[in-house]
Formats: sequence, structure tokens, C-alpha cells
Amino acid sequence: MKVKSRGRVILGAVISVGLACLIWEGFAQSGVFPRALAPSIVVIGSALGRMLVDGAMLRHTSYTLYRVVSGFVLAGLLGVPLGILMGRFRRVERFFLPLVSVLMPIPSLAWVPVFILWFGLGNAATIALVFYAASFPVIFNTWTGVRSVNRLWIRSAEAMGANEKVLFQKVVLPGALPFVITGFRQAFARAWIAVVGGEMIAATSWGLGWVIFDSKEFLNTDIMLASLAIIGVVGLGFERLIFQTLERRTVARWGMVKAVAG
Amino acid sequence: MRRALISLAELAAPFVVVGAAWQAFSLLGPFPAKLFPRVETIIETFARLIADGILPIHALHTVLRLISAFVLAAAVGVGLGIIMGRHRWAEDFFLPLISIGNPIPGLAYAPLFVLWFGLGNLPAVLLVGFAAAFPIVLNTWTGVKAVKEIWIRAAEAMGAGDRQLFWSVVLPGALPYVLTGLRIGLGRAWRVLVAVEMLTSVSLGLGWLIFGAREFLNTDVMLAGIAVIGIVGLALEKLVFQRLEQLTVVRWGMMQA
Repeated sequence: MKVKSRGRVILGAVISVGLACLIWEGFAQSGVFPRALAPSIVVIGSALGRMLVDGAMLRHTSYTLYRVVSGFVLAGLLGVPLGILMGRFRRVERFFLPLVSVLMPIPSLAWVPVFILWFGLGNAATIALVFYAASFPVIFNTWTGVRSVNRLWIRSAEAMGANEKVLFQKVVLPGALPFVITGFRQAFARAWIAVVGGEMIAATSWGLGWVIFDSKEFLNTDIMLASLAIIGVVGLGFERLIFQTLERRTVARWGMVKAVAG
Repeated sequence: MRRALISLAELAAPFVVVGAAWQAFSLLGPFPAKLFPRVETIIETFARLIADGILPIHALHTVLRLISAFVLAAAVGVGLGIIMGRHRWAEDFFLPLISIGNPIPGLAYAPLFVLWFGLGNLPAVLLVGFAAAFPIVLNTWTGVKAVKEIWIRAAEAMGAGDRQLFWSVVLPGALPYVLTGLRIGLGRAWRVLVAVEMLTSVSLGLGWLIFGAREFLNTDVMLAGIAVIGIVGLALEKLVFQRLEQLTVVRWGMMQA
């Protein structure tokens, strides 16, 4: 496959987004839906600009980020050690694996009503939700990663006299890292869904999910679409800037996986 | 025999421990029994709701909704993915849009879909289908691109027509990716569906059951509903997809079980 240059990719993206905007504009002008339900690009753009300037969007975004990052960090703090213990000790694995397999297929958002009753409306319920959503991919991938560390590496480290601590720091942890990072990625994608859904249902007063849900009452479709755009940009930003950089700096640099282009 | 018993006990042990911890917390913890019901209350409610037919009817509606949304997503997603993989113009146009749309949680569109399509089944099915289509498109596209050039050339050299090429080479070659996409899509549909049911007020459905039970503080009903959701989710993964994979790509030796 031919690799396109970065500039070409961006140019192509701009053209196709522009085309899609034109199609939307045609659809909005066609009058299939009333104007309030399908606003024109100009209206959406000006809503976005207005909210960016008066700081409302910044505030919504920072609330959402606060919730998603707190829940995600908690999930990492629980998930990585638990996954490692499960991968290293048979007994821990036997105890936790059935629990993880049973809880994992339950969508996090099913817990929202329960969490609202337990933690009340607001930050605590949403953070708990993000934590629940993000924990399982971290646990599961860390566990897989630790188990898939090449046996030979462990044996040769042991033969060279590495003790448990050195073995862990120099062999097990770096060996499992590609899986751990994959786990973080999946966890963030799920956390991002959970935070938006959680904010809609566990309504507080700020947050990108909340503002979309709240705009429905006033038929502010322009605000909804502007917030959707921000949700997309932040989600893409996390994936591209944080996780891909993390991968390049660690596992790709050590030659364990190939860096993802783009 | 004895070994089977031991392994059964080992499997049950974590659940017994968690059940005991739950029970202790419910008896001694800060929550009133209404909010943190005891284990026997949950089991009793679960049995009662199953016997009444309430849980099965809600589960049935949820599953039907899931199937319609998934069929929609699969048809659109695989079709679009194949077109994108085979034609350059389609790839150039759709790929950036799909890459931008993919990280936006489908759920974020829920209020918009409600405004456009009203409450009830239609927005729920459309939204879930929409959310599930993204991974299906991306994986199908990757799969079509990953079909080995040499297979295509070999088939062409042996005189395969366009149609034969597609059915006998491109489609089977792309199938492992397509199946992965369908699997991810189904998982996503399932996770979104429960929340969508809460937001679009469908008349019957597990998400709605849980959400409605909150009004009356029926935590036991909510937990029973969540248990059914877990069972359905596990069944989808184990019965539908692992079997489908077994029957197709694993059997053809393209993937290991």
C-alpha cells in the first residue's frame, strides 16, 4: 500500500469534510426538517464561536474532562496492579477472573440508575460510572499482557540472577506494556462513552453530555451540534496526542510494536 | 468426580465471597435496605420477575431491538466498507468522515435523534445502528484492503470475472476482518442500546425497566435487570460470535481458535 504524505491526508480530509458540510447545508435548506431541527452550518458555527468566546464551552469541557480523567486514573490505579497480580499468581487469577468475566459484558450505563441512588446526582455518580467502564479493559489487557510475556525472557533473567523485584521491573512490566497501552486505549474509548451518557442521565449542571441533553428542551439544535463537534475533537485529541505519543515513546521506541501511522 | 467438584467449588468461591461481602455491607453499611437490598431479596425479586414473565418480555424487546439495529448496521457497514475498499473515490470521501465520527460516542446523538425521529423504537434502532456501523465499516474496509494482491492476480490470471473475484476471493479474504468488525459493532450496539432505551422512553426494554425502577427506589428490580443484561451480553459473545467464527474463518484455517 502506498503511504500518503501527511499534508495530502489533511488536504483530503478538509475536502471531504467540506463536501459533507455542503451536503448538510443542502439538506438543511431543503426543508425536510424544520429549521430549528436542522440548522444551517453558519448557525452551528456561530453557536460554537459564541460558546467558545464566552467561556461556556470551556467550562463544559473542563467538567467533562475532570470526570473522565478522575474515573480513568482510578481505573488505572486499580486495573494495572490487579491485572499484574492476576497474571503472576494463579490464586488471584482463579478468584478474580470469574468475577471479571461476569461483570465485563454488562454495559456500564446500565448501572447509572443504581449509581444515582447510591451516590446522588452529580460528579460522584459519573466518576464511579467512568471508573466501572474503564476498569475492565485495563484489568483484562494487563492480565493478558503479563501472561504473554515470553517465558524465555523470564527464565533467562532468572538464570542471570534477577530477583523477583528486578524481574518485575525489567522484564514483566516492559513485556506487558504493549497490552497495557492497548487496554488504556480501549478503556478511554469506553470511558468517553460512559461520561457522555452519565452526564445525560445523572444530570448535573455542567458537562458536554449535559449541555446536549439540556438543549433538547429548548430545541437548541445548534448548541447540540456544536457540543458534538467538541466531543469529537476531544476524543480524537486524546487518541492521537496522548495514546499514540505514549506508544511512540515507549513500546514503539523499544521496537516491540510498529508505530501506527497518522 | 472429585476433581469436578473441586473445580466447581473453585468457580463458585469468588461469587460466594462477594455475596457475603454484599450481604454484610447491606446489613451493616450506611445504606438503607431499600437502596442496598440483601442478597436474598435480589434473588427473590429475580425469580419473581422471571416467573411473572416481566423480565423475559423486557429482555425479548431489547434483543429484538438489538437485532434490528445490528442488521441495519451490518448491511450498511459491510456494504460501505466494501465500496470503500474497492473504489478510490469512495475511500477518499468517506474515510476522513468516518475517522472523525468514530470517536464520538453514539449516545451523544441521542437527544438529536429524539428531536428528529420522536420518542420510541425508531430513534432507538436508528441510533444504535448508527453507533454500531462505524467499527463495521472500518474493519470491512481494512479487510478488503488486506486481501493479498497475489490472490487477486492469480484469480484474474485464471480468468475470474469481476463477480467471481468478489465472491470467491475478496469476500472470503476479508472475512476475518469483517467478523471482527461485526463483533466489535455488536458489542458497541449492546452497550449503547441499554442507555438509549433510558433516553428514548421505549415502552418495553431492559434499559427502560431499570430506569423506571429508579422512580420507586426498587433497587432489587434494577439489580435483577442488570443481571439479565449481563446474561444476555455473555450469551451474545459466547453463543453467537464464537460459534460463527468457528464455522467460518477458523474452519477455513484463516485464524486460530
